[in-house]
Parts: sequence; structure tokens; C-alpha cells
Amino acid sequence: MSMDETLARFEELDAGRVLGDLTSEETSEWQILVTDMEDVHSIELELLATELELKHVQPCDLSSSLSNKIADTIPAFSNKNINQPATQIISILPWLGWAAAACLLVFFNLPTGDDIQNVSAELTQAKTELSDKEKTIIELESAKQELAKLNEKLSSELLTESGKIDALNNQIAKLTEKLPLLQKFESLIQDESDTQRLEFASASDPYAGLSGEVIWNDEKQEGYMSLENLAVNDPTKNQYQLWIVDPERDELPVDGGVFNITQKDGKSIIPIRNALVINKPVAFVITLEQPGGVVKSKQEIVVALAKS
Amino acid sequence: MPFRNFILFSNIQSFEIALGIVPPSENQGLAEKLILPLVAKGDEAAMKRCIDSYGPLVWSIVCRRINERVDAEEACQEIFTEVWRIAGRFDSKVSKESTFIGMIARRRSIDWQRKQNRLPALANLDSLPELSTPSTNNLHSIDRSELWNILNELPSDTLNLFSLHFEKGLTHDEIARQTKLPIGTVKTKLRRGLIEARKLLKEFNNGEGVAQ
Repeated sequence: MSMDETLARFEELDAGRVLGDLTSEETSEWQILVTDMEDVHSIELELLATELELKHVQPCDLSSSLSNKIADTIPAFSNKNINQPATQIISILPWLGWAAAACLLVFFNLPTGDDIQNVSAELTQAKTELSDKEKTIIELESAKQELAKLNEKLSSELLTESGKIDALNNQIAKLTEKLPLLQKFESLIQDESDTQRLEFASASDPYAGLSGEVIWNDEKQEGYMSLENLAVNDPTKNQYQLWIVDPERDELPVDGGVFNITQKDGKSIIPIRNALVINKPVAFVITLEQPGGVVKSKQEIVVALAKS
Repeated sequence: MPFRNFILFSNIQSFEIALGIVPPSENQGLAEKLILPLVAKGDEAAMKRCIDSYGPLVWSIVCRRINERVDAEEACQEIFTEVWRIAGRFDSKVSKESTFIGMIARRRSIDWQRKQNRLPALANLDSLPELSTPSTNNLHSIDRSELWNILNELPSDTLNLFSLHFEKGLTHDEIARQTKLPIGTVKTKLRRGLIEARKLLKEFNNGEGVAQ
């Protein structure tokens, strides 16, 4: 588009602006063109259009209420009243009707344009706030659900960890329980040179994996078994029982006490609870007996044997 | 009922003007004692006089375009607020006071109409060229009747559209219905007619040297 064509287009759009008939697109086009037309742009068209219109405008007086309202709009008039001469009292009588109407309007609190605009603005603001609050609620609901999921997950993990802690506690308790026996076991070996030490061997196929040893001190009448890979027994059905073979004392084995194996893994330390004094043991035999043990074993199930 | 037809005559003078007994120009003569320079200085009494003097003119311009009374009153308030705000930009060498105030009233009323029709508002006065830019057309010194005489050289169909728009205050749609012309043609003829009118006025001023 040449400069002349651009100028012609701008003038046509400017005339449209003055006449108030620009479309949205034309308004945008005018706004773009006017930045390049500052030198030639004037208000002549607008003044001309106004002159043409004013020729035919017949002024009609404002109502006093509107006149006052306008005066109140002007910042400098808002706090001051213009003094009216006393001689004008008669001339304002015709306005009393309007004043009464204005009073009625105030009395019935009919909305003015300002009121409507204010209410509209407040409504828009309230809608915006409501929309924001709805978004916040949705976000909070979402956060709540996330928290619930997290809580569920943490509870599950806590339960698992609690189980692990319980298991560890049990293990600690067992180790703690076992510790004095282990100390006594070690002490009996290290401190007492005449302590007898014999290895267990399994005596039947079901106990083939069994290993361990027995230590005994005649002088102290104290002894312990250290057993590994011995099957856990159900004390309500059967119990292990130790028998001590001491030919110098008796032909029959002496009862060394009943015991249970409560854990499959690890080493179990079992103290020997000999019912009688042992002089010179030559062998130790473990049998599986009825709960509580027996006085005399039939040796139907021989579990392990340790002999010198 | 369109509010533009609801005209109140609060005193004899305006009643006479409305009947054409007293020409508006005479009434304007009383008002043209340059109130705006005083308003520009913050003279409250001058502003009150401005409202009294030009209120009827503004009210009439507003009522030509805005039918609802509440809206018209609100527009009227906005117009005088604008007058109070930019009175300092008035230049008596460029236009009459009534033209200056009439221009503000006209533009505000048009913007009000456009707002109702969800069209973007036109540029406000602050973004337009300086109002004191010397005009080559000397509108301030040409009588309004004389202006229309100058424009008699325009094509008759354009003059007819001018009459319907500026004199009778019809909208483009109403003109299109009355003349049975397409709305686009009405727009184009009015726009180009206004540009042509400015050209004629310039030629008149240059040729005859009226009121230089």
C-alpha cells in the first residue's frame, strides 16, 4: 500500500471513528495506523462532525437533581454547596416536585447507575473470589487425597517396620537370654582346663544335618550343649532329653534334663541339668521323648550321640 | 418509548428554543463567555456555571443516543467530569466552547453506545492530538448555519445522509432501512462525505478568507 493509499485509508477510518461506526477490526487497524499518522492526524473531522450535529441540537434543561448529582461528581464540588441567593426561592418552587421525586427515589433506595455499577463490580469481585475459593477447595481435596494415600503407605510401612522391629527385639531377647549361657559356655572351656569336650554326631537319618558339641566339668558338675541344625520340636507333642552315660556310677544312663529347640537357625546353648552326680561320663545321648521326658528311655528315637 | 423524545422544559427560554422561537445560537452566545479557562484554574463557581450553561446542550446530545434515563444521567456525569479534567486543553482559537464540550459529549455518548453493543471503546481524548493544534478550517468563527450552506455543494445523496444522521440523529441501521441502501454503503458515504466536507470547508476558507 502506497503512502497516499495508507493516508486515504487512515482518513476513512478516522472518519468512521468520528461517526462511531468502526468495527472491532477497524478499531484495531486505526490504532495501528494512528501511530504513523501523528503528523497529519488532527481533530478537524471531529470538530466538524460536532458542529454539524450541534446545528440541530435543541438544548433542554437538566433537572436540578441531575445538575446537583453532576456537581457532586466533580471533585471540587463534592464537599461544598453553592450558595443560592434568597431571591431565588420562588424560582425554585417548580423544582420542588423534582426534589420530592428525588427524595422518593432515595427513600425507596432505587439503584442509580453508580449503584448498579458498584453492585456489578462487587458481583464480579465476589464471583472471582468464589472461583478462587473453589479452586482452593479442589486443591485442598486433592492434597487431602494425596495425604490419605501417603498416610496409608506410611502406615503399611510402619506396620512392616514394626514387624521387623518386633522380630529384631525377639532376636535380641533371645540373644540376650542366650548371652549368659554363651559366657558360661566359653568360661567353662577357657577357665577350667579339665573340662571335657565331645562332638555330637547324628544318630539317625532325620537328624543327619545336626552338628554341635557337649562340654562337661566333673569338678563343677556343670556342662552345656551347643547344637546346630536340630529340628524345632513342638513341646506339646515331644521334647528332647539328654542322657549321660557314666559306667562308674550306673549301667543305666543318667537323666541330663529335657529341653526344647525353639529356633531353626543359629546355635542353641542348652545347659545340662543332671539329676544325679556324674563321675566320669563317657557318652552323651539325645533322645526324643514324650513331653516332660521319661525316667528310663526306650531309646526309640535317638537323635545324636557324643562319646569319648 | 425512546427517551430522546422525552424533553423537559424547565423554563420559558428553553421552551422557546425548543419551538425554534429563539435560535440556539443566541442562547449559545450567552454561554460563549469562556468559562472553560476559569474551570481549568479550578474555579468551582465557574464549573457550576459551566454545568448550568452547557448542561442542556450535553443532555440533548446524550439523549440523542442513550434512551435509558439512568444511563443518560450517568453519561452526563462522566462528560462533565471529563470537562472538569481537560478544560485546560480548550483553545478558543480552535473551537467554540460549546463545540469543545459538545465534542466530549458526543464522543462519550458514542462510546456508551459501543459499550452496549460490545464494541471496543474509541480512543480517549488523552491519546488524541493536542486540542490546541491550530485548525485550518476556522470552525470557531463560522456560524453553524453558514457551515451547512457551504456543505450544500456536497452531492445530494450525501447531504441527505448528513441530514438523517446529524439533523435527525438516526443510526446507520435506521438510515439504511429508511433509504433502502446497504449498511456498508451508508457507512462509506457518511465517512467519505465527512472527509469531503472538511475539504470544502478548507477551500471556502482559502478562497473567500472568511473570518481570518
